[in-house]
Amino acid sequence: MLTLNNVTKLYGTVIGVNDITLALEPGAYGLLGPNGSGKSTLLNLITGQLKPSMGTLHVLGQVPWGNAALYRQIGYCPGSEGLYSNFSGYQWVRYLLQLHGLSLSTAGEMATRSLGVVGMRGSMHRPIASYSRGMRQRIKLAQAIAHEPEFLILDEPFNGLDPVGRHEMTCLLRDWIAAGKSLLLASHILHEIESVTHSFLLISGGRLLASGTAEEVGQMLADIPGEITLSCNQPYRLAQLLMEQKIVDSIKISSQTVVVSTSRPHHLFAQLPGWLAETDVEIFEMRSADQSLQSLFDALLKIHQGQWS
Amino acid sequence: MNPGNFGAVFFFEWQRALSPARMAWWLVLILFPAFIVALIRVSSAQPPREPWYIFLFALVPMLVSMLGSLLWASPAVSSELELHSWTYLAVRPHGKTALLLGKYLATVTWVLSAALLGLSISVLIARPADPWYLWSTIAKLACISCPAYAALYLAIGCLFPQRAMAIAVAYTLVFELVVGFVPALINKLTVQYRLLALLVDWGTLPLGGRSGSGMLAMIGDAPAWHHVAILAGYTAAMLLLAVVVVHLREFTSESMTNG
Repeated sequence: MLTLNNVTKLYGTVIGVNDITLALEPGAYGLLGPNGSGKSTLLNLITGQLKPSMGTLHVLGQVPWGNAALYRQIGYCPGSEGLYSNFSGYQWVRYLLQLHGLSLSTAGEMATRSLGVVGMRGSMHRPIASYSRGMRQRIKLAQAIAHEPEFLILDEPFNGLDPVGRHEMTCLLRDWIAAGKSLLLASHILHEIESVTHSFLLISGGRLLASGTAEEVGQMLADIPGEITLSCNQPYRLAQLLMEQKIVDSIKISSQTVVVSTSRPHHLFAQLPGWLAETDVEIFEMRSADQSLQSLFDALLKIHQGQWS
Repeated sequence: MNPGNFGAVFFFEWQRALSPARMAWWLVLILFPAFIVALIRVSSAQPPREPWYIFLFALVPMLVSMLGSLLWASPAVSSELELHSWTYLAVRPHGKTALLLGKYLATVTWVLSAALLGLSISVLIARPADPWYLWSTIAKLACISCPAYAALYLAIGCLFPQRAMAIAVAYTLVFELVVGFVPALINKLTVQYRLLALLVDWGTLPLGGRSGSGMLAMIGDAPAWHHVAILAGYTAAMLLLAVVVVHLREFTSESMTNG
């Protein structure tokens, strides 16, 4: 479905996408990365709006740049709004369908159908200016699916949606996948992607850091040194215990806490109760280091740069 | 490319043109020449024949065509980029070409309709000795100038999307309004030179006297068909340039701003 060979995109001296090599079979994938990580640049390359500075890129077996035939097979929902506020959702979607060479009546029928799919049939004749953010997101999705593409590409589709809207969008995308169609969903929020698919592409600083399922990525990170903070009644005794087990890389002790750095956190978590049972050390609280997406990306970036193996 | 694609853009752009702001501009373009002609009629007795040709040439094929085309055609790409609507259009089959040609056709019809209506009202107010001949001469010039200027400004808009209006205004002031009237080889590169030559030819304006010889030096003595053919070629070349630039160039309003 998607093949990238050493694809790099430069904006002058700024790197948008850095040497990405990737091959994806048809299916549903989440493109996960922090803001500014190169997701939108990658999507612009995939949708043929940008040309790679280096490398080759194929979507559904075709070079995307200026490829009219491919544009009939892909549906793209960009992250930015860009809707004409004076027009109704129906007029906008119909207009974009007409640009696929469809007659006014056929485009109208297909627009009505797709607006129905996204739950906008009741409001489709209202001006876009009167729509809520969530309704505009649905209009954007409607224009992407209206011409019945094989491969749907979405950039931050959950932006601005309330919880109900998010749930409905999730259901829509699950239905899309269940129908056997392909999907690439870009987001900077992990659980948004997890709610739709379990296959990830992790991108940061324009680099593809990892790909696979959540379990595979988790396994990859399992042995990365992480900080664990333990609050206890005898910090020096606990520190001594951990040192004896040779499980920590470094250790910091304060009045009631012990902060350890270990490259085998799972081993520590598994063994710690057994070690404590033989002592009178009581642990009140245990916190692992920041598990935010950014720290995940930092860790992956260090692996990518060879700082950790 | 399916002609229906740019037909869709054409009709959609006309729908956009029916907004109050754009209709107000359309009325201004219609009424401004009529207002100037009314001022002339009120402030002086009936002028002789030739000045009407000059006045209406300056007001309609020059001012209305130039200004209207500049306002519509030069932001053809930049307005879509700023609105972030470019992406939706660019990922349609031949979407960028359809957008350009549809907007071009909408510009020409919008400006030409204002020019012809403004001209008609002006001629009615002017009440010259040869109203039909005056109207048809200036109307023919407007029918040539609108497509030529729209193509020129469209090309400028594609070449310089970030400063389209400013560059179009600067080009107009320097080349069309100054260089176009310089009696040298360079003025032949301007639309204005060709239009002026056609005005003298079709309006059968006299070139006698001292000022006449200066005029002859400025416009040359090529036949009218020659100027029309060159303007047609110029229009086609500018349109082709715009289409080629849009195809070769990467336009995206978001690639460096997020994600």
